Amino acid sequence: MTATTDPVARNEWIAAGWLGQIAPGASHDTMILGQPIRITRTGEDSYRISEIGEDGSEGRELPIQTRYTCIFTTLGDPTRPLPEIHEFDEADRVVVGCGNVGVNTSPYRLVENFLDMAHFSFIHVDTLGATDKTEVLAYRTEHRKDVDEIWAVDCTFFQPAASKAVKGGQMTRYLYRVMSPFSVMLYKNISEDSDRNDAICVFIQPLTETRCLAYMPMAIVDNENTAADIADFQQSIFLQDRVILENQRPALLPLDPTYELPTRADASSIAFRRWLKAMDIRFGIYEKQAA
Amino acid sequence: MAPDQWNAVALDSQIRASSSNPVIVNDYALALWRSASGEVNAWEDRCPHRGMRLSLGFVEGEKLRCIYHGWGYGPDGQCKVIPAHPDLTPPKTICAQRHAVESRYGLIWTNLAEDPHARLPDLGADDGWEAVRSIFLNYAVQDARKAVMDDLVGWNGALSDGDVVTLELPDGTTLAAAFQPVDAGSTGVHFVARGPAVSAEGRHGLARQVVQLRARIENN
Amino acid sequence: MKITLYDYSLSGSCYKVRLMLGFLGLEYERRQVDFYPGRQHKTPGFLAINPLGQLPVLEDNGLVLRDAQAILCHLANKYDGDGTWLPRDPASFGPVMMWLMFAGGELMAASSARLHDVMSYDLDIEAARKSARSAFRVLDDHLTHREIDGGTWIMGDHPTVADLACFPYVALSGDGGIGHEEYPAIRNWLREFRKLPGFHAMSGISEYV
Ligand SMILES: N[C@@H](CCC(=O)N[C@@H](CS)C(=O)NCC(=O)O)C(=O)O
Ligand code: FES
Ligand SMILES: [Fe+2]
Repeated sequence: MTATTDPVARNEWIAAGWLGQIAPGASHDTMILGQPIRITRTGEDSYRISEIGEDGSEGRELPIQTRYTCIFTTLGDPTRPLPEIHEFDEADRVVVGCGNVGVNTSPYRLVENFLDMAHFSFIHVDTLGATDKTEVLAYRTEHRKDVDEIWAVDCTFFQPAASKAVKGGQMTRYLYRVMSPFSVMLYKNISEDSDRNDAICVFIQPLTETRCLAYMPMAIVDNENTAADIADFQQSIFLQDRVILENQRPALLPLDPTYELPTRADASSIAFRRWLKAMDIRFGIYEKQAA
Repeated sequence: MAPDQWNAVALDSQIRASSSNPVIVNDYALALWRSASGEVNAWEDRCPHRGMRLSLGFVEGEKLRCIYHGWGYGPDGQCKVIPAHPDLTPPKTICAQRHAVESRYGLIWTNLAEDPHARLPDLGADDGWEAVRSIFLNYAVQDARKAVMDDLVGWNGALSDGDVVTLELPDGTTLAAAFQPVDAGSTGVHFVARGPAVSAEGRHGLARQVVQLRARIENN
Repeated sequence: MKITLYDYSLSGSCYKVRLMLGFLGLEYERRQVDFYPGRQHKTPGFLAINPLGQLPVLEDNGLVLRDAQAILCHLANKYDGDGTWLPRDPASFGPVMMWLMFAGGELMAASSARLHDVMSYDLDIEAARKSARSAFRVLDDHLTHREIDGGTWIMGDHPTVADLACFPYVALSGDGGIGHEEYPAIRNWLREFRKLPGFHAMSGISEYV
């Protein structure tokens, strides 16, 4: 596809690489929102990103921020800054990146899957869900207008093994936070007696409307497992979701509330779709053909 | 609007009890599933909840369960189970899109028209048909049909054209080829037979000949 | 007796070994290898264990083995008393070996397609999918004849290391953009395999049958 003209999508910060992906001096060609770009690692901690023109030459230079193990850029003038996630600054946490994983679907299917608890008992059997404990208890969603984010609060779900560190089943408490159409995170209370939540993010790089790369930086409280163990657990979970994501039809997200039928457990998805509709984003949205 | 037309989409024997299968007809994705008691259903391959393909689901008794959130649908298409809300009676509005389906001549047929009136192709007697095998060719349906006809002309037997192509073999066996238009570049051809050659040994022989037919067509 | 598996959860080849260990009821210790994104299998430390730089590797009482197919045969040879997983009778042994080599050979194109789609491996994806489809067709043709005989498995009336070795990358092929629409006999065989007692799934394969 050619680069999207959708100003809403163009004005967001988008993850386009992970720190360590490109060797010093080397460059890497990729794409955001249909626009080919080249990321060059100009020094140990410095990068340059440029659009690549039709003829293969480097064109306009794009803004860069490196945070949360990722390299972010944008095609437009971002109206919102990168989110603040202070858990990544706490020195005693394990911060894990996980590289990126390709997923053939639209970015919003990824966000919705991440927000969803009702699939745990079917897709993450014996880890995030048990086959005989499928109920999703009522939770609340909020549109936090000051930061223009969608939150889901008071979420709980029974989990046989909530993380690499947890042994035995528990009611896990969750907080979900959608920071932009292309980024979402959760805070997960993995132990009864501590209010230090694990922070797990998904930053999505939409290559095109139906092809994405997903980055999953995490800041975890765990002094037993290695970063590789934690990454392995997270990747295992994500590849269980990936099959689902690639087999939802259509891949583009339908915003018409009669086209896909939600229930109470989908409150966060409903809030997310409403929010997308209100911001009038067009990129990656399913426009149902007139009958 | 889908045409009022029956297409063979699988061999009856290959759609097992308690299974859900992905099938594509004229670019339209179906979940072809058979309940534990043996009823066949052809549904749009899209869960009404969040669009998951139902062909990846699993069958529990007479219900098809979606793999994503486990919603369970009865043979009438109605949602009966929503595991996230065990005490909720699912609203009537939650209903899978069903399509007409028939099992006959050892084949499963579907018609995607909203209100189908067309009749199934007539192959004479209903009973005695046995599966030979299915093949898939990288051609649009009219080209696939022509290629199969052109090859069958060289077989020893009497060939007749129709919705279903049939070949009367010298020993009195009828070999029938039914076509499944998949998309612009792919067609399924489902072969069944009736008569003396439908012993296991005879079907092995016919299946091998069909594989050779496929190889000849692909080498052309 | 002590068995150690150098393992990566998302590897279909490691999954072959985990399945075999599970079916045989063997205890083992797992050594986590950071295959992606760490590429730990290409580091000097791991190359000292397997100079080919590949997973899986199995250590069994000092014996160090690479290659999933070789490992399956070793485990079946040493620990499967009945010899059902690795039949020794002259009529079965050859065909089982033939399909086992096919699993480690032609079928691995499906693994390449998956690595491309999931982990952005730089390879010719159309060529990989085409080779995988040719291999799937060979297997589907074989299983179609088995169905005519009322058979379910690749060879004989029970599953062998041939079924086990072919299973993962066929079951996981959707991850690499290869669907099962054109392989009805493969679909039926996959479903029966998933129903085996002692079977356990991995990411990309459903627990529900
Ligand atoms: N012949 C080996 C190949 C296994 C294989 O391809 N393993 C992958 C992981 S799933 C690997 O280590 N690839 C790295 C490489 O080949 O360089 C076997 O069957 O065990
Ligand atoms: S998408 Fe089918 S149950 Fe949710
Ligand atoms: Fe999930």
